[in-house]
Amino acid sequence: MKETQAYIERIKRVNRGYQRLELAVDKSLASMLAGQAMLVRAIDKDYDVEHWDPYLRELWFPVETLASNIVVVERPARRHYTPGQLLSIIGPIGKAFRFRQKLRNILLIAHNTTPSALLLTLPPLLAKGVGITLVLTGSARRYETNHLPEEVEVIQAEDDLTWSDMVMTLGWADQVFVLGGPGNELTYFGDIMGLMRERHHDIPANYLFGVIKRDLPCGVGACGACSLNVGGGQKRQCIDGPAFDLTELRLN
Amino acid sequence: MAIEITRPGKYSLILSTPVMPAAGTVGFGDDYRALLDYDKLGALVTNPVTIDPWRPASGTRIIALDAGVLAHTGLPNPGLANVISQYRRVWANMPIPVILHLVATSVSQIKRALDMIDDVDEIAAVELGLRDDISEREAVALVEAASRMEKPLLARLPFYEASQLALPIAEAGVDALVLTAAPRGTARDEHTGRLVSGRVYGPLIKPIILRLVGRLRREIPADIPVIAAGGIHSPQDARDYIDAGAIAVQVDTATWAQPKMLERIARDLGGWIATRQKDALSDEWNPDMGHTEAIERRPDPPSPGSKTK
Repeated sequence: MKETQAYIERIKRVNRGYQRLELAVDKSLASMLAGQAMLVRAIDKDYDVEHWDPYLRELWFPVETLASNIVVVERPARRHYTPGQLLSIIGPIGKAFRFRQKLRNILLIAHNTTPSALLLTLPPLLAKGVGITLVLTGSARRYETNHLPEEVEVIQAEDDLTWSDMVMTLGWADQVFVLGGPGNELTYFGDIMGLMRERHHDIPANYLFGVIKRDLPCGVGACGACSLNVGGGQKRQCIDGPAFDLTELRLN
Repeated sequence: MAIEITRPGKYSLILSTPVMPAAGTVGFGDDYRALLDYDKLGALVTNPVTIDPWRPASGTRIIALDAGVLAHTGLPNPGLANVISQYRRVWANMPIPVILHLVATSVSQIKRALDMIDDVDEIAAVELGLRDDISEREAVALVEAASRMEKPLLARLPFYEASQLALPIAEAGVDALVLTAAPRGTARDEHTGRLVSGRVYGPLIKPIILRLVGRLRREIPADIPVIAAGGIHSPQDARDYIDAGAIAVQVDTATWAQPKMLERIARDLGGWIATRQKDALSDEWNPDMGHTEAIERRPDPPSPGSKTK
């Protein structure tokens, strides 16, 4: 991890709610893997902070990496960005998702948040022929998915957090990654654990992961704001996460 | 340059530059090693350490404010004994003194802490964090107990109680006062709709604490150094605190927003104080001056054979 400078090379509106920014980044960020993120803030040409609002750096998850040190991020369309804008980036933050070696089908669930933190999984897994189902629940249902690859099956869940063919998609998946919006994600993870236990008497290790996307003040494990109780000890989202095996994560 | 930031005496703390991170911002050890050059700082102030392990706060811990942040971490830490055993080697390799920020709620806890700390040479000083709403009597008792340790003792005062605690705490045996902890506030978490209480950080805190530092500096004995903390986000902010009578400063969440700013403030303040002491012109040094610029600014040496009047 290090602090580097980048700039916005291109901006492309992908739907009514979101735009994609192509960032020209340092080569240390060009090979980020699914799960890893960056802490970003706008800076001026003297590399000083341009303004203090937002105050903390924002957590940006790449959704795609392109050639020539370009990473693509998805940002709300209401936020204003300009090509050439300089950025200060701390990263990569966190660890890559640990996929099973013989992964054939994966279930991705986004609850009350945009699924952008999960989207970098799509290109490499589709290239390997892995079947991908993306379930959107809560406010995540407002996320438009027309720009996602056709091979990804997208399901809109009901208000009670269930969806059609739920039994089949849960049983079909070799691994499940559940992304929870900040605030109540541990409660939602508990609900998902309950659903899973109805199907599996024991949830195996390395099967069901909770992905946490809270604001990170420091990103280096110093401030303790992202500490979680995991397996009898404390772990940090920014260093050990963002994905935690839900059989180990303490949810209360 | 050497700056004594504690009261002169048997145990005192001398730093190369009067800038350090505030407790709770840079961790217990060298977590920021990839982003900061510790050699440029005056000291490391650790995250708050309690006698027994504390778990992280449940629920929302960080709320973004307009040009600031509210933080409620619950001070997660593995307890004093574990912190010492885990970080002792890291501290030994740090190029700067380590100030342990201790949170204790009773005299008996202070005594237990001193038993563990006194023999740890890697801890150069202790900063005692006094909790909000603490009574004067209780605060004085804690400071008196802690001042028996064989290390310099700093006491960080709570923001709202700083005015009434400063003088009694100064007289109770501290070697320096830290003014102050970040003020507490309450904000609504937009994700959950709940109100969350925590400490408030941001540039707007600085004018408030700057005034407090200026006032208290005049009220407490001159031999008690004051270390200012609160809202420092630029070298000028730090200089303002020095002008108000502080001997040193602690930089808090600016480090989260822009890690290199801590280093830059340290370079600026160190150079500013050094040049000020030597009556140098103010524009002769700046923290961003590179070696080339420094050389260019020097007057040309007389060429061989030239004559001067």
